[in-house]
Order: sequence, then C-alpha cells, then structure tokens
Amino acid sequence: MYLAEETKKLTGKAASTKSLAELSLLETEFLGRNGIFNTQFDKLDISDKPRFGKEFNLQKHKAKKLITDRRNALIRKTEGERFDVTVPGILPPLGHLHLVTQAIREITAIFTPIGFIRRRYPEIDTDWYAAAGLNIPKDHPARDDQETFYVSENVVLTPHTSNGQLREMELMKKPPIKMVNIGKTYRRQIDVSHTPMFHQFEGLLIDKGINITHLIGVGNYFVQNYFGPDRRIRLRPHHFQFTEPSFEIDITCGVCQGVGCRLCKAGWLELGGAGMVHPTVLKNGGLNPDKYSGFAFGWGVERVLAMKYDLPDIRNIYTTDLRILNQF
Amino acid sequence: MDIKLPDSTLRKYLLTKASAEKIAEALTLCGPSIERLHKVTGNYVYDIEAITNRVDSASAFGIAREAATILPFFGVKAKLINDPYDIKAGELPERKSPKLPLTVEIRDQALVKRFAAIVLDGIVVKDSPKEIREELELAGERALNNLVDITNYLRLCFGQPVHIFDYDKISGAKMILRESKPGEKITTLDDRTHSLRGGDIVIEDGDGRLIDLCGIMGGKLSQVDDQTGRAVLFVQTYEPKRIRRTSLYTQKRTLAAQIFEKQPDSRLVIPTLIEGVKLLVKYANAKIAGDSIDLYYLKPEKKTIKLDLKLVNDLIGFKFDAKTVASILTGLGFTVKKFSPATFGVDVPSWRTHDVTIWPDLAEEIARIYGYFRLEGKLPVSAHLTTTTDPLLEIEYQAKSFLANLGFTEIFNYSLVGADIFTKADMDIDHSLALTNPLTSEFEYLRRSLIPSLLMDLANNQGKVDLPIRIFELSNIYLPALHPPGERGSHLAGETPAEQPILAMASQGLDYRTGKGYLEALLAKFRLNNLTFKPFAQKGGPWQINQTAEVYSGKHFLGVFGRLKPAVKSAFNLKGDVYLANLDFRAFASLANTTYTYTPISEYPDMIEDITIESNRTIGELIQLIKVESKLITKVIYQDSLKNKHTFTIHFNNPKRNLTQEEVNQIKTKLLKLA
Repeated sequence: MYLAEETKKLTGKAASTKSLAELSLLETEFLGRNGIFNTQFDKLDISDKPRFGKEFNLQKHKAKKLITDRRNALIRKTEGERFDVTVPGILPPLGHLHLVTQAIREITAIFTPIGFIRRRYPEIDTDWYAAAGLNIPKDHPARDDQETFYVSENVVLTPHTSNGQLREMELMKKPPIKMVNIGKTYRRQIDVSHTPMFHQFEGLLIDKGINITHLIGVGNYFVQNYFGPDRRIRLRPHHFQFTEPSFEIDITCGVCQGVGCRLCKAGWLELGGAGMVHPTVLKNGGLNPDKYSGFAFGWGVERVLAMKYDLPDIRNIYTTDLRILNQF
Repeated sequence: MDIKLPDSTLRKYLLTKASAEKIAEALTLCGPSIERLHKVTGNYVYDIEAITNRVDSASAFGIAREAATILPFFGVKAKLINDPYDIKAGELPERKSPKLPLTVEIRDQALVKRFAAIVLDGIVVKDSPKEIREELELAGERALNNLVDITNYLRLCFGQPVHIFDYDKISGAKMILRESKPGEKITTLDDRTHSLRGGDIVIEDGDGRLIDLCGIMGGKLSQVDDQTGRAVLFVQTYEPKRIRRTSLYTQKRTLAAQIFEKQPDSRLVIPTLIEGVKLLVKYANAKIAGDSIDLYYLKPEKKTIKLDLKLVNDLIGFKFDAKTVASILTGLGFTVKKFSPATFGVDVPSWRTHDVTIWPDLAEEIARIYGYFRLEGKLPVSAHLTTTTDPLLEIEYQAKSFLANLGFTEIFNYSLVGADIFTKADMDIDHSLALTNPLTSEFEYLRRSLIPSLLMDLANNQGKVDLPIRIFELSNIYLPALHPPGERGSHLAGETPAEQPILAMASQGLDYRTGKGYLEALLAKFRLNNLTFKPFAQKGGPWQINQTAEVYSGKHFLGVFGRLKPAVKSAFNLKGDVYLANLDFRAFASLANTTYTYTPISEYPDMIEDITIESNRTIGELIQLIKVESKLITKVIYQDSLKNKHTFTIHFNNPKRNLTQEEVNQIKTKLLKLA
C-alpha cells in the first residue's frame, strides 16, 4: 500500500521517542513542509496524483494521529514524574528602602489629600530662620531647649524644621499656605530617645479664620491615618516662643485606647509640640497677623516610627547593620 | 524646669477636697504638666514640669494659684490661701537686739532689680523641724540645718531663691555688689573654684574678697556653719541675662540660676524676706539686729492689654461668653475692666508681665483653663494651592525605590562625621564645615562626601552578612561655598553653606561590569541618554585611577564610577572588590525623563548577526561607531573580548520592509573595517 511502509517506520520511531522535543523533530521529519510524506507525494507523476490522493491523505491522517497519541502519552508521563516542589527558588537580590524613607513617603501621602504641599528647606540655616525670626532672641532661656549645633555664630544646624515657616511665607507671599516640610534636623544629644541627627515633619497652615479646632482636626486626621482609625489626640498647655498659644500633643495609647495601662502614662503618649503661629512670626514672614492666623506643628519622624512599631531604642533606626536594615 | 512638690506643701496654699490624683490630672490638662505622681507614706509628691516662661508657677504657691483656678472646671471647689502677696511690711517683728552695722554698696544699678537683706543675731544652729526636713527631702533637697533648710523651704514655697551669709565672715560688715573683673576667682559652696570671665554679678566684702557669685551660688568664704551666731538673710532679683551667661559658662545650672534667668517677680522679694525672718525667729532663735534693707531699682511695668472677645473666640474656635472670660482671668490674678460688652481692659499682674504681653497670651489663658481637650476638632476648609512641590523630591523616591528593587539596601548615615574616616578614605577633611560645638570627635564635621561613610558601613558589616553587598545612600553633602546674594531668601543671604544631594552606591564582591550594570540600569530607567564614560583624570581620593570613569549624559557631568583603590580598601580592611558610584543627584534629576514617548515597533523581524572586530579603540568608542554606521542597526550588544578582538551581537531592522542578507553583509563589511 502506498506510503504504508513510511507509516510503519514512523510507528516504530514514535514509540521510542523519550521527549516532546524528540517527537517534534520526528514530526517535522515525516510531516513537515519538506518532510518524507510530502516529498514522496511530490515524487509522483502528476497523472498519478489523483489516484493516490485519497490513500495519501489516509496515511497522513494516521501518521498525525500517531504523533498526537505519542505526544499525549509523553505529556501524561511527564506530568506523572516525581518532582520536589519544595526545592527553594533562586532569589534575585532583595533590596530595602530605609524605614525613614518609607515613613516620609507615608506621611507625605497622608497630608497630600488634604492639600498640604511637601517641602524641604535647608538643614543648615541662619540664626534668623532657625531662632531669631521665630521670636527666640539671642540669650533667651528658650534656646536651652534647642540644644543647637553651630557652624558659626550666625549659622546653625537646624534644631527643628520650623525654619521652613518663614521660608514658606517668603516663598508664597500670600495665604493660603499649607505645607508639610520634612527634613533632617540636628540636636546636641544622644540617648535611647535621641540621635544627634533626626527628621521632623512640620505642618503649617495659614489662612483667614484658622483656629485651634483646625489643628485638632488635622492632628486627629493624621493619627487616624498613620496609627489607626481608633486613635485621637488631645492638646495640653505648653510653651514655645514661636507659637501662641502653644501645645503639647498627646495621642491615645494604642494598647489601652486612652484608659491607662502599663505601657503608657495614664492612657496617653506624647506625640510632639504644636501651636498657633505667633503674631511676631507672621509679621517676620511678611504677613499681617490681624488678617491671618495659622497653626504649626513639628513632630519627629523617628518618634512616630518608634511609636508605631514599638521600637525601644531610637538609635536602632540609624544602625548601619544590614542584618537589621534588611528586615524592613 | 523640673521641680518636685510634696502634696502637703501645696495644701498650705490650696484649700480643696480634690485628691492628689485629681489635682495631677487637672493640672496636666490645663496647667503645668505633672510628669508623675508618687505616693509616699502619708503624702504624695508631684513631679512637675514647670513651663519655661512660667517661673511664677515653679513653687507650691504658684501651683496652688493654678490649681485654684483650674479645679472648679473639673467640678471641684478650690481656694487659694496664705497668699504671700498679702504679707505686709508691718509683719516684720520689731528689733529688740542692739543694731549691727551692714553697709551695702551697689556699684551698678543695672545689675540688680531689687536687693533686700536683714541682719539677724542670737542664732542657734540646729536641725530644722521634722515637717520642713521631710518636705524638703521629698522635694529632692538634702536637709542640712535650720538656716539652710529655711532658705530652701522659702524657695520651695514661693519660688524665690534666698541666701543666708554668716555675718561674722563678711569683713568690715560691708557688701559691695559689682561686675566681676576678668580672671577673678571665687570658690563656691560646693568647693569648686571658678575663674570668672568678667561681667558676672558678684559681691565683695570689706577686704575685697568675693563672697557671692550672685544668683548662681554663694561663696565658700561666707558660708554659715554650726558656729554661726549672726547672719544676713538675703533676697534679690537680678538682671537675668548676666545670670544666664554666668550659669552657662561656669556650667552651674543651679535651681537658683534657672529661676533668676527667668525673671521672678520682684514684688515677692519683701514678703519672702519677712516670711524668712519669721521662720528663723521661730526655728533658729533669731533676733532682728538691723533695719531691713530694700533697694528697689526696677519695678515691674504696669501693663494693660485690650482684649476683644471676638478675636479670642476666632483664634480658639469656640464661643466663650464675657462672664467666663472674666472669671478665668480674675482667678489667675488679672484685673478685668469691661470697656464694652465684648471688649475688656486687662491689667497683667506683676508675676506675669514677662509672659503675657499681647492679647493672644490672654486667649491662651482662657482656652487652657477651660481645657483644650474639651474643644472639638474640625478639618479646615481652604483654597487649593497653585504651587507644586519640588520634582526632585519625587525623583529621589523613585530612584531609591528602583535601587531597592534592584537589590540595594538603603542606609542613612549621620551627616556628621569624624576626620578619621576621611583620612582612611584618602580624602581631605580640611575644606569641610566644622561644628563649633561638636558633641564628640565622631560628630565633628559636616560631610562633604558620602563615600567614607559607605566604606565604614561595608567595614561594619564585614563578616556579618555574605558577599555580595549592595548599599546606597541619597543624602546631602555640605560645602562651605557661598550662595549668590538673594538666592536663599531675604535674610543674610550668602551666609549659609551649600547643600548638595548626592547618590552614592557601593558594591562589594561584584565585578566591574556587574557593578556598572546597576548604574547603567538606573540611568536607563530614568532615560538619561547620550551616556559616555571617560577615563577619570583626577588624582587622589579613594578611586583606583585606571579603573574609574567619569559619567556624562551629553555634556552634563553626572558623577564618577569606579573601583576602590587597594590602599583605601586595606585601610578599611575590606575583602572582595569594591565598586563605587557617586552621582550629583540634582544633575541626575534635572536630566531624568519620567514621561513616556511612544515609538512604534517594526512589523518586520530583526536580523541578528555576531561580528568580531579587531581594533585598538575602546569598547565604548566601538559601540558608538557601530551605532552610527547605519540607520538599520537597531541594537548593539557587547559579548566579549579576546585581546583586541571584540565580539558584538548586532540587530538589523528596516521598519518598512524585510532586509536581505546582502544588505546586512554590506554593513558588516564596513564594520569589520572599523579599527
């Protein structure tokens, strides 16, 4: 029978194939465009073609079925092979963003939807922006609290991000002013809750009719988004030269929700300072304090991080040990 | 300023049924913060953080005045009692003993606001009564003897520092208050000798010996002791800036100095003196032996502030009525006169003239006594801003994230460094900004390069984590360059140093091509184009010169990439190859392109050919030359080199039709001629 010999040969060869790739080669050899079947058919005299056509198609169909059956058999065999799925994958290198970078990103993302523009102002600034312009004259006892590093008599490493207040007023010239200034700050102290370099985020909102309840509103909005929806803040009296009135801001303890527990002081934890912008500071920034009012707060990035993740020693944030940094 | 106050001392001035817990809670919310309340046998002790500008509240009486106004808002009745301002001059006991002379001479009236003293005789030094001793101990003072204890007790009760001298140790019974001269020496009560800078307030006696470092600590020479029989009781207020200056440079931050520099009320000087005499009469057998001296040079100014109720309510965001406002202010000692239904004239009491100067100060008093915690929060409504944030900040985050995704770990090193790590890195610290008051030599300079810190980081991790290590930092460096005037705001422009953001990357345990590949991936991701790497020309520093390149995008210098030189590697004791990249991030960000432009892809397949070119040119040059040879060349991939034979895989494509082998061969022939 025409081509039956070839089909038989293929039957034997297909049965001995061990892989799908081998079978694919065999398929090309017999059934490809220039394969055995087509070549044989092409060799026929044109007048013989109609006579053998039916038989050719029958054999070719048989051959195709052989290949398909073998392919299915091989696939079934492969699927049944033993394989240890627990073998570890090959990892690409894993990198890590620093906790502070992640926190700054998160803080910025919280303030953006309520219209606060992120800023970054100089880390090394003149005494005017860091102190005198903020209503802290030279020789004033309030300078004690600042623990400032000096580069020269008139140039300091900013002990807080509040130098951005006057700079933002100068930049914007006119309210509304809404910024969150995040930057590096420096103080001359090192212990479990202080590093000589740290970061602060400074919120400043100046407009007509801004009052204390707005500060409370924005403070609650921040802590609910950063720490969790059941947290809230409260204000207590404090004193800063550049705000009037000034506040210490507490946040409800995350463990006891403000009732009082072993971890917190009667249900509340200190978050940071805030206040209504002092009229002298508005004046120094070129704004009319009779027309505009505003609030400002400056809180520690590391402090909120330590509170959120319960870090006992803030110095750990500035470790260079990759065994720690690679955990974040 | 932190003070400890026993509950029993407080209740000498406060009549209330409120428990210590209630007092602590109410004060914390509306007045000075009570950091802790300690229960002790039969008593309590409050740890109080007296607010810096409220020196008037740093005493039992001061706290009582606050509590008496605050507690009624918590539903508890409270009344201020034994007010020292009610003590009259006539209450001073009569002198019956013979008069002892005391000459006081004030050389400069600008040094002292009020000076009061009185001579006492017949003194018997012994222990003070149990009650005073116990309260002092609870307040953190060591009980010594009746004389010293009574001065400390007066300070605890009224917040006015008091001193007592041994009259017989003051030569010539003469006290001359004057400015110190530079180099003068005084030994204080704690046996420490200070060499004075001059301009300090001191008292010398008739023999020209210094007997008091005023406002800071008494002199050893005139100290009272067990034998003291005659004494001078001494109550003053001083010029605050001088006290502060002396206290800071002598590093004697005594409680007295901390109080005097914050300007306690001069009106309280005489009541304190009288109360002191009474206590000394009662507990030390003292008899008055002289007229009381009272030199009053600087009386507190009378101050009246106009208060508009509407402005107060606008600032607080709450509707207070006139009655509440008046009652709060009156309770705190202000005198309130009504000008109209919504405006008042408010007289500031003598003890508040330094912290209450403008109407918002009064608004603070009203709001805090009522309780900030009672106010409801509101989100402000204000117009959207037209300003935008600096794009650098977003690109920084994107670049950091990209590097983290490539396997780099971000490190934050301190901006402050020591000279040693710069020396180790063969870099010059000399032109760095130095702190005038560093904390330690480890934090002495502001770094002008991130590289020494990163090398230190690699060294610190040596043996702790497996190689390869990939780390980066994106931080400012600081250069003492001057800014053009006006660039940085209107005040003292040009004085502040330059802050320049730098991205530094370090790899340890990788080869040149892998290390460079990370940098090239970063540059490609942010679409910096026309990149060239030119051999590094500069001498010195941490770089191995023949394996280091300057990186350019077009004409713009971006930074340096290269190998750490062996000498520095060994100084940091590092194993494995270290490659560093140091990029000017502001230049990077200004050239970065984070927007997309669409280029259609060719419908026709690439033809891909390998070609080996023999040439003495650099590989970088060859790639450039290959690329410009024909527009049909779409991609050039470097494979490897054997001496000066370099193999590349080249993609050819014509977006309009299929390429023929012949066309490709023609280009290849030209490429082979590149030499």
